[in-house]
Parts: sequence; C-alpha cells; structure tokens
Amino acid sequence: MDTSVLVDILQRYVFNVANLQGMLRLSTPVILAGLCALITARAGILNIAGEGMILFGAWFAVAGSYYTQNSYVGLAVAILSGLVVGGLFALFSLKFGANIIVMGIAINIFAVSATIFMTRIVFGVAGSFMHPNIQGFSPIHIPLIKDIPILGGILSGYTFPVYLTWLLVLLTTIFLYRTPWGIHLRAVGESPEAARTQGINVERVRFLSVMASGVFASLAGSYLSLGHMVGFFDQMSAGRGFIGMAVNTFGGGEPVGVFLSSLLFGLTDTIGFRLQGERIIPIYFISMLPYFVTLIALTYFTIRKAQVAKAVFKKKAAQAEAER
Amino acid sequence: MTYEIEMIGIRKEFPGVVANDNIDFAVRKGEIHALVGENGAGKSTLMNVLFGLYQPDAGTIKIRGEEVKFNNNLDSIAKGIGMVHQSFKLVPSFTVAENITLGHEPSKLGFVDKDAVRENVIKISKRFGLKVDPDSRIRDMPVGIQQRVEILKALYLLSDILILDEPTGVLTPQETDELFEVVRSLVATGITVIFITHKFREVMAISDRVTVLRDGKWIGTKDTKDTNPKELARMMVGREVLLRIDKTEANPKEQVLTVENLKVLDNRLQEAVRDVSLSVKAGEILGIAGVEGNGQRELVEGIIGLRTAVAGDIRINGKSITKMSVRQRRDYGISCVPEDRYVRGVALRASLEDNLIIENYDKAPISKGQVLNLKKIAQHASRLISEFDIRTPSSKVIASTLSGGNLQKVVLAREIDARPKLLIVAQPTRGLDVGSIEFVHRRILEARDRGAAVLLVSAELEEVMSLSDRIAVLYEGNIVGTVKGGEATEEELGLMMAGITDEGEDQRDSHSVEQQVSQEV
Repeated sequence: MDTSVLVDILQRYVFNVANLQGMLRLSTPVILAGLCALITARAGILNIAGEGMILFGAWFAVAGSYYTQNSYVGLAVAILSGLVVGGLFALFSLKFGANIIVMGIAINIFAVSATIFMTRIVFGVAGSFMHPNIQGFSPIHIPLIKDIPILGGILSGYTFPVYLTWLLVLLTTIFLYRTPWGIHLRAVGESPEAARTQGINVERVRFLSVMASGVFASLAGSYLSLGHMVGFFDQMSAGRGFIGMAVNTFGGGEPVGVFLSSLLFGLTDTIGFRLQGERIIPIYFISMLPYFVTLIALTYFTIRKAQVAKAVFKKKAAQAEAER
Repeated sequence: MTYEIEMIGIRKEFPGVVANDNIDFAVRKGEIHALVGENGAGKSTLMNVLFGLYQPDAGTIKIRGEEVKFNNNLDSIAKGIGMVHQSFKLVPSFTVAENITLGHEPSKLGFVDKDAVRENVIKISKRFGLKVDPDSRIRDMPVGIQQRVEILKALYLLSDILILDEPTGVLTPQETDELFEVVRSLVATGITVIFITHKFREVMAISDRVTVLRDGKWIGTKDTKDTNPKELARMMVGREVLLRIDKTEANPKEQVLTVENLKVLDNRLQEAVRDVSLSVKAGEILGIAGVEGNGQRELVEGIIGLRTAVAGDIRINGKSITKMSVRQRRDYGISCVPEDRYVRGVALRASLEDNLIIENYDKAPISKGQVLNLKKIAQHASRLISEFDIRTPSSKVIASTLSGGNLQKVVLAREIDARPKLLIVAQPTRGLDVGSIEFVHRRILEARDRGAAVLLVSAELEEVMSLSDRIAVLYEGNIVGTVKGGEATEEELGLMMAGITDEGEDQRDSHSVEQQVSQEV
C-alpha cells in the first residue's frame, strides 16, 4: 500500500468535517453518562446503575414522544423517569441500606428485561419499536454561526440535547465550584465526617446526587432514542453507562475532563460507522472498536500519568543529588 | 446557681457495651473544665451526646438551665456548642477559608461569595489572634495549623461552649502554651471550655475543675486546686500507677544503626528529611523529639525501606542496607512499630493468629516448606497473648474487635518477639490510656536491656524524655541538636523543636554527631 492510498483512507475515514460532527454527536450520550458517574462519584458514591438508568430514559423518551408526537415532551417524560428510577435506587441503597453495587447490578439487569417487557405490553411489538408517531429531535441551525465556513459546520446543526449537554458541562463545573450546594457535595464526597460536623446533611446530599445522576442518565437515554436513532431497541444503551464511569475516572472527576475524554469515544464510534458502510472489516469487530479503543487509550493514559509523576520524582531526586 | 451545661443521668448503649452509664456532668459558665479518663471510659461518647452526634438512651441535657433535645449537631451548634475533634474533620483539598466556612458559606444570588469567605475568615482569625493563611489548602498544612483551623471553625459558628478533644497531642510545649493562652483569652470573653485530655500536667495547668470518668461511669468532679496528678491517675485507672517509669542506666554496646546524610522525600516530593545523620548503639534508646510533620514519618519509612533514600546511607552493624527491600531489611534485624497501628500495624480483618505471624510466617517452625503449621501458629499466638497480656476472648478473633491498647500490644508482641537488632517505635502510645502506656514503656525498656538498639519517635515530649538515653530533635528535616536524656529540660527541647537553637551549641552538637559517624566509618 503506497502512502497516497493511506492518506486517502485517512481523509475519507478519519479527518474530515463530517467526522468531527459525528464525534461531537456521538460523544453526547457518553458525556452525559460521564456526568451521571461524576455527580455521584464526587459525592462519594460508586454508582454503577448508569447503564440501566440510560435504558429506562431511552424507553420513556420514546413513549412520551410517541403519545404526544413531541420530542420535547418525550425528553420531559424521560427526565421524570430518571428522577423516579434514581430516587428508588437512592431509597433502597442509601436509605434502606441495600448494598449499592448489588442494587446497581439489579437495576442494570432489571432495566433490560423491564424495557423489553414494557415494549411488548405497551406497544405490542417484540424487540425494537419504531413508529412514525415518534418525533425525533430536529437539528437546530444557529444563525450567524452556521454561516462561518468549516467552523459553522462543526458547531451548528445539532439537535437540542447536544447543545444542552455542552451547557450542562459548563453548569456542572459552576455548580461544583461556585455554589454552596456544589461545595457541600464535594465535601461530602471527600470527607463526609467534616461535612457532617459542619451540619451538612450527608445523607440528603447523597440522595440528591443519585437523583441527579438519574437525570443525566435519562438525558443520555433520550438522546439515544430520539436523537441518535428514532425508536427504541433492545439494550440500546450498549455499555455507555460503563464507558461513562471510565471517562469520569479518566477526566479526573472534572466536567471538562469528562467532555474531552468522551470526544475520544465519539471519534472512534464515528470512524466505526464510516467503516461499517464500506464492509471491508467484519461488522462485529467494528462495533467493538469504540469500546476497545476507549479502554486501551484510557489505560494507556492512566499508566502514562503515573510514569510522568515518576519522572518528576526522579528529576527532583536527581536535582537533590546535584545540590549536595 | 444554674450551670451552663448540665447533663443528668446520661446513658448510652452500643451493641454489647454501655459506653455511658448514668453519668452526671455539669459545667459552669466561663470555666475551663477538664474531662479525663482512659480510652473507652466514655469521654468521647459523652461529648458526642452533648454535641448532638449521638442521642442518649436515657438522661437529660440542660443548656443554661433550659432542657434541650438534640436530634443532630445542627441543634447543638444552634445552642452555641462547638467541638474540635481529635481526628480533624477537614476536607483536604479545600482551602483553609473554605473549610472554616463549610456549611455556612456566605453567598450572593445562590453563588458562593468567595471574597466574603476570605474576609470573614481573616476577620475571625484576627479577632482571636489565631493566624492562618486563608488560601492555603489543608492537605499542604502541618497538623498544628490544621488544628488552628478546627478551632476557628468552631469560633466561626459563634460557639460560646467549646469542646476541645485532646487538642495538644500535636503541639510543641510552646505551642501548647500558646494554645493555653488562646483558651484563657477565650474564657475571658465569656466562652466556656471543656478540655478533654489524658495529660495530668495539662489538667493542672489549665483547668478550673476536672471530671474523671472510668468504664463509662462518673467517678468524681474536683476543683483542680484541690487535687493532684497522682490522685487523678488513681481515679482514672482504679489503682496506683507509675506516672514516670523507673529506668536503669543504659549500657550501650556496639553501634547498630548508622544513618549518614540521609535525604528522603515526602508524598509531595518535598524534602522531608534533608540531611540527617544519627547513630544508635545496642542497648540504648535514641529518642527523636519534634513536632509532627518535621520529617519523623519519612525518617522512619526511609530506614525501614518504605521510602527510597534520595541520598545518604543507612547501615546496620556496618553493612549498608540502603538498597535493600523492606523484607530484606527486616530479615537483617529491623523491627518496626509503625505510627499508625490501624493502617500499617495490623491487618484489621485478619485474626490475631495471622497478625502475629506476619513477621515469621515463612520460617520454621511456623511453616514447613509452603505449608503453615496451624498448631504451631496457635501456640505461637497464645504464648504472645499471655506474655504481652493481650486482652482477647480468643486468638481467632479478628483484630478489629480489639481496643487500641490491645492492638498495640499485638504489634509490640510481634515486633519485639522477632528479637531485632534495631527496634523502631513510632508514636508507640498514641491514643493509649495510662495503664497501657506504662506497659508499652516497660516493654520498650526490656527490649533495650536485652540488647536491641531502639529508635523512639514520639510527639509526646514526656515520653521521649522519660524513655530516651539520648534525644535528638528533628526540625524541618534536620537534626537541630542532640542532648543526653537525663539532662534535657522541657524548655530547652521545646525551643529546639521550634527551630530555635543557640548557634554555638548547635554547632557543637552537629559536630559531635559527625564525629561519631566518622569514627565508625
């Protein structure tokens, strides 16, 4: 294979405006899943139920949109479902003391069968449910920005949840560092005893953080079922809840960090889609690609971080040696 | 006369234990009331009841004559009660100002008013004469300052009843005196102070009255001027105790440990141990005095191999161990009683038997080849349990069920039984009661008399002074002076701990250390 072919392949499949758009679109549910993991992790809770909560969100968004033929009502119904599922999860694990990991696994498994069951009972179909009544989100073209060459193409023309997600990254950062509630949340996560003795209601903060994670997850779900695709499919959350936990860890628990690490997933996911169309690589391999690449990259960068820290240590040690 | 605080017939049970049994406790307005008792006597439980963290099973609490019921500590904070806990309740990644205002942040339109946070903290710090940098992060602060932040936290909430839970453990004598000054000036403004401590010197120095608890029961309340340390100790323990251990003259022999120009970094990669040279002979105890956070932990970890020496050399009996692993060093004859027994001293979820063989599980007769001899392990455990008077229902119970004093005996038993050439003991009596302290001290002296070189690191000046044959003072990672154990005065050591040394004396001391070292080389 000579280089021109390689450059051609890279241009076609990796570096082009459409791919950048795809990256931003496909990273959206991962960012939201990351924020879902973040808001509980910062409150000191290991919440693995994101996957299940996304799935519920996706189903209720479809249901809401189907009956009202309005995607925004679908979104509202999904958010409501997120509050309910998150609230129940918090009630059982935090209030009644069920093991939070076991509870999380239960929700994830329950979500898979419950959504299949509900699809069959409510819509009378098995497996996936698509219908012209289900309104998806339509793209929003931002005036002025859309006319900027190249950049306009990258920044404009997305659906509402995409913009909402960007806004949420910003708002979560402000929340965590500029509001009393956010400060309390971080204090509860880092040193619950300190928070408690200062009169902060640790249990309430944690309860609310789990409910908030339900909202983030349901937003991710509604993007999957009303933005990414239109309709509900079995297990359409496809592991994004767990990838969300990974990007949160990799993003250092910071919303902006979550955003940037999610882009990586979005990019590989996009490239996967491009390659699927070409049928040059087995499709199962391609479906695996985004997850595989994300995990490998995250592992690599985490190791690299440790190595850098070690190098700094060695440098300091050498300096100390030189000073003697 | 109405009391500021009156607790009547307080009872608090935990599964299997009565922590407070019908305790009466009354504090007058504007007094400094010392609350003393051994660990597990119920002091903390009583104070947590007063602070609203626990709800009593029986009894009433009156604040200024008014009966109150605290459902949580918000209720008690509202009544003006503030508590400075022994283990600090601070958020490490937050700044000083953020910690002080936590839970009560001044805010504007729902956002935290960061300027007001800073200003309020500066104001309160000036008013009470407690200097802090509002913008430093807690994780970068020495413990002494962290405690100051804790006190400011309580004052920020307008407390006029201040509970100080063993506040002096981390301070130099001078800092303790400063704290006493602060406490006295607080009392002069009408604040009432409850001072929890186990140091009789402090009770005598600062308190107006003193209440003694034992085994969850009230033993007595006295005017401080009408009592003395001996009486207090007897009330606390229920028998006569030796407050200062009898010690025979040391009989130092060959040099065991030589540390030369050691440099060790801390977790933040700062030089915690800068340039330390010291030596310990067989049959002597070298005490390392110093305020915590001046490199003690890193020095110990450097010697036992948990931290790499960036520079310098460590030798045992003339052989360099600087490059050896922890295991190799231990096999070479180093034992260590680490400062945090819960983290490094014992495996909390393992049984006593397992904890006692961590040192020698791979050696005969405990194991043969790859197989453990369970019978020998049980014998080993029961021998040490009786030799070291470890109070436990059986050798099979998991370590976390034991009290702090008994756990420390487990660690001591294991480390001393290994018959080390060098025994390092770090903060050996932290959090222990008078009875256990006496026991631990005796065992350390026995190890010395048996011929071990002992390196004792302690923040308790009294402990260092009563046990050590020689005392080296560590300040900011350097040894600022070495003195003979019997000759040191508290004032002299205290000044050195604060880094104030007489230039000439300092020179002489460092010379003598260097000379010692060079002689051995």
